[in-house]
Amino acid sequence: MNNLWENIFKRKDKEGIRDILKKIPVFEGLGGNDISHIERILHRREYKEGEVIFTQGTPGFGMYIIEDGSVTIAAEPSMEVLAELQSGDFFGELALLDDSPRSATAVAKTPCRMLCFFQPDMFDLIEQKPQMGVKILLCLARTIGERLKRTNAELHALQEKSAKQD
Amino acid sequence: MTSGKPSENKGADWFKITALVALFIAAASLLSFISGLVKIIIISALLAFVLDPLALFLESRGMSRTLATTVLFLLINSAIVIAALFLIPLFSEDIDAIQINLTSEKAVAAISNIEDLIEKNLSFLGVKDIHLMEKMQKAAAGLGEWAFSHLLDLASLMLHLFLIPFMTFFFVKDGRAFKKAFVSMVPNRYFEFTLRLISNLDTQVANYLRGQLMDAMIVGILSTIALWMLGVDYFLFIGVFAGLANFIPYFGPIAGAALAVLVSLLNGGSFTNVFYVILAFAGVKLIDDAVVQPVVVGKSVSMHPLIVFLVIIIGGKFFGILGMFLSVPAAGFIKVVTQESILNLRRYKAI
Repeated sequence: MNNLWENIFKRKDKEGIRDILKKIPVFEGLGGNDISHIERILHRREYKEGEVIFTQGTPGFGMYIIEDGSVTIAAEPSMEVLAELQSGDFFGELALLDDSPRSATAVAKTPCRMLCFFQPDMFDLIEQKPQMGVKILLCLARTIGERLKRTNAELHALQEKSAKQD
Repeated sequence: MTSGKPSENKGADWFKITALVALFIAAASLLSFISGLVKIIIISALLAFVLDPLALFLESRGMSRTLATTVLFLLINSAIVIAALFLIPLFSEDIDAIQINLTSEKAVAAISNIEDLIEKNLSFLGVKDIHLMEKMQKAAAGLGEWAFSHLLDLASLMLHLFLIPFMTFFFVKDGRAFKKAFVSMVPNRYFEFTLRLISNLDTQVANYLRGQLMDAMIVGILSTIALWMLGVDYFLFIGVFAGLANFIPYFGPIAGAALAVLVSLLNGGSFTNVFYVILAFAGVKLIDDAVVQPVVVGKSVSMHPLIVFLVIIIGGKFFGILGMFLSVPAAGFIKVVTQESILNLRRYKAI
């Protein structure tokens, strides 16, 4: 009987994860089987309130998806808050492509459940299922492109603002 | 107060040293106690490293990991059975022939000539009554005994034939799940560090092993071709032996050349022939060092000759002949683990 309940909850839990993954731009356009495969290779971690997820300056290695809870992204050494992220948000996706140091520190604001997608798993996936790998890489490029466009727009707005002030 | 501190520290140091020595002795005793099992696990894990890219290739053709591993094992087992059917009778004939040759009249004459030559020219060093024939006969008998007792000891062979493929199959099929399960036990603080360490180790060890295997194959093929061109008998057996021996640095190539020289002498080969055989092995070694090694093995796991020597002796002591083969890759693995751990701990600001 217990097993039955456990299985029902597990299935609900899995459906919840799949729903979250489908909404992540990096996995956009992937079918049900592909999402199930991604779910199998993701690492699940739990963080206590105030626990550091990664530290600014350490080499990046992958992206984190918030399954449940909220995360603060802060710049060291002042720990100025750059962003607060909630369930379904993701961060650190640039680290899937290169090993450059993390540009900020991520701290669990509340107890968090995270899904982690790492560089070696992505490279393994590209070799293992090339078609799926290409889809993910395209989505990743698109996501990073979007972020670049947004940063450019913000920079442009700041430049205009500073020109007006001068 | 102040006078008590150094003696307390000294006491603590002695305690640490004693604990470390005790730990080392306990680990060594445990290792020797379960050496058989450890040997099987190490061989299976090393084979899984080598086979992983092939399973990955089959997976990329649309197979599931389980199917890819099954197909891979069926193919390898078929290849081993065919090779065994062809090579074992051939090699056992070769080993018998080498032993028989040692008693042939031609060989006896050739060896007594060598004996005379050595005794005449090196008498000033006190060399006399070297009984070369007796020693060579013993060595050849030893070669046969070694091959049959180590390779064809039926009970242990059957156990190994079953256990090694069995473990390798699961290491290849579930390697990712094992890694994931291991990483899930690591505390959050060391999570990224551990993942990176495993990933780097995977790449380095796999490259090293595949490189060594490729190197052994190339050396084996080159030696076989060279010996065939020089008309040395049993060139295929000696070539395969030279390739396999190449897994043991420094000693391996010498062992391969020594066997070829022995066979050449036994078949009444002149000193010119022996000289050509030595020259051929020197040429193969030169090609190996200058071209093959830098390309396929790389310098990532290079070790000091003294370390290699010690590691081979220790490997031989604990695990016999197979230990000598496996000691260098195992030491390479430990070296990579240590190097990567220190590097990553620094990068992750843990030390």
